[in-house]
Amino acid sequence: MRRLFADRLALATGVIVILVSVLFAYLRVAQ
Amino acid sequence: MLPYPARVAIWIIVYLLFVLGPMFALLVGSLPPARDFWTEFSAAIGYAGLAMMSLQFGLTARFRYVTNPWGEDIIYHFHRQISLIAVGLVVTHPLILFAVRPELLALLNFIQAPWRARFAAISTYSLIAIVVMSLWRVKLNIRYETWQMTHIVLAVVAVTAGIAHMIGWGFYLVYPWKRTLWVGLTIFWLALLFYIRLIKPLFLLRRPYRIAEVREERGDTWTLVMQPEGHPGFSFTPGQFGWLTVWGSPFKITGHPFSFSSSAAVTDGSVDMTIRNLGDFTSEIHKVPVGKRVYLDGPYGAFTIGNPADMHVLIAGGVGITPMMSMLLTLADRGDKRPVILLYGSRDWESITFREELEALKDRLELTVVHVLSNPPAGWTGEQGYINAEVFKRHLPPPYDDHEYFICGPNVMMDSIEKALGEMHVPLSKYHSERYSFV
Repeated sequence: MRRLFADRLALATGVIVILVSVLFAYLRVAQ
Repeated sequence: MLPYPARVAIWIIVYLLFVLGPMFALLVGSLPPARDFWTEFSAAIGYAGLAMMSLQFGLTARFRYVTNPWGEDIIYHFHRQISLIAVGLVVTHPLILFAVRPELLALLNFIQAPWRARFAAISTYSLIAIVVMSLWRVKLNIRYETWQMTHIVLAVVAVTAGIAHMIGWGFYLVYPWKRTLWVGLTIFWLALLFYIRLIKPLFLLRRPYRIAEVREERGDTWTLVMQPEGHPGFSFTPGQFGWLTVWGSPFKITGHPFSFSSSAAVTDGSVDMTIRNLGDFTSEIHKVPVGKRVYLDGPYGAFTIGNPADMHVLIAGGVGITPMMSMLLTLADRGDKRPVILLYGSRDWESITFREELEALKDRLELTVVHVLSNPPAGWTGEQGYINAEVFKRHLPPPYDDHEYFICGPNVMMDSIEKALGEMHVPLSKYHSERYSFV
């Protein structure tokens, strides 16, 4: 369970980073 | 101390700040004209991927406030999983650029490409090599020691080349303070590697230990009794472990992690490590001569007793008994009278490490020992097979989520027990586990 939690945390981190990268690109293009 | 969920939340926020903060710092001040969405997105995942790769040095630098509240084994697991995501981001960065600007494919020609593109190629190929060697080390028949050295060298090359590529391109780094921020952060993470590999060993060199006794235990297992030499030693919490270097100096690349098996209540600084012959480095342990100088880096690990609970449930498989033995001896020395149940899986009756010592501890503790044998002798009336949810229910009083659980043993056993605890609705905060093959 702890490893599963760590797996999900890594996956969630990846998703957050990609979403924030989309935000970064959007902010740049929208300027 | 903050409650478990709060510590987890803070850890995640700090991690994300280190990954995303430097990226958003690039947006401060006047900026060059924006390019198309996909080029900007590609740049963003490149920055994030590089920041995540740099942070990998911090995860494995053995700092207690980094490894808590997860435990060392989970940090290493996260290190592995997050590296796949980071490398995925770094590799996707040029792929997007090649898709939206095909003329950039010419940069793949390493000979004719400018240095900023060469650095990118060096970084990317190094990262791919790290992933391939880590995922398939055993299949590729690479020795652990060779792998570890190569892993470190490739990681340093990948991050250094990555930052060189970023500075070489320089699109967002027109301000010196932005360059300083990114280079400074990278140097900080790389410095952690030098701290753990050069500075820390220097300290260890001045704090050696002597082997006072090499004691044979049941189950092809040996206990090394170590005395500090010329210093008071360190105090530890039962359940913690240390990195042991037996052959060679502390500068040697491969220390090996072992749990302490002695009481944490001793006052002379001595520590025991109980090590089973698993056919690798451990097969040489019984040959260690008394009087030999060894080096011990520790203590580490969050696998420790201390939270309030009505009873402690210790679940050990094989040599996973060693941290439990330290807990039991410490509780006995402290006169702790709270009930403790030890569920202990072994192959057969004769190979139960610390069998007699555990019997003796029953006189000093409110201790129940349940042996679970996979190969029981004729006439055995106790538990047989493997520790599972049924064994729990036969021996533990409900409600199960009132107890505090400690689990240590082979990966297969840990997976099945953690699954069983989940089915019994025991929350993550109530159990602690440590995998002894985490490296």
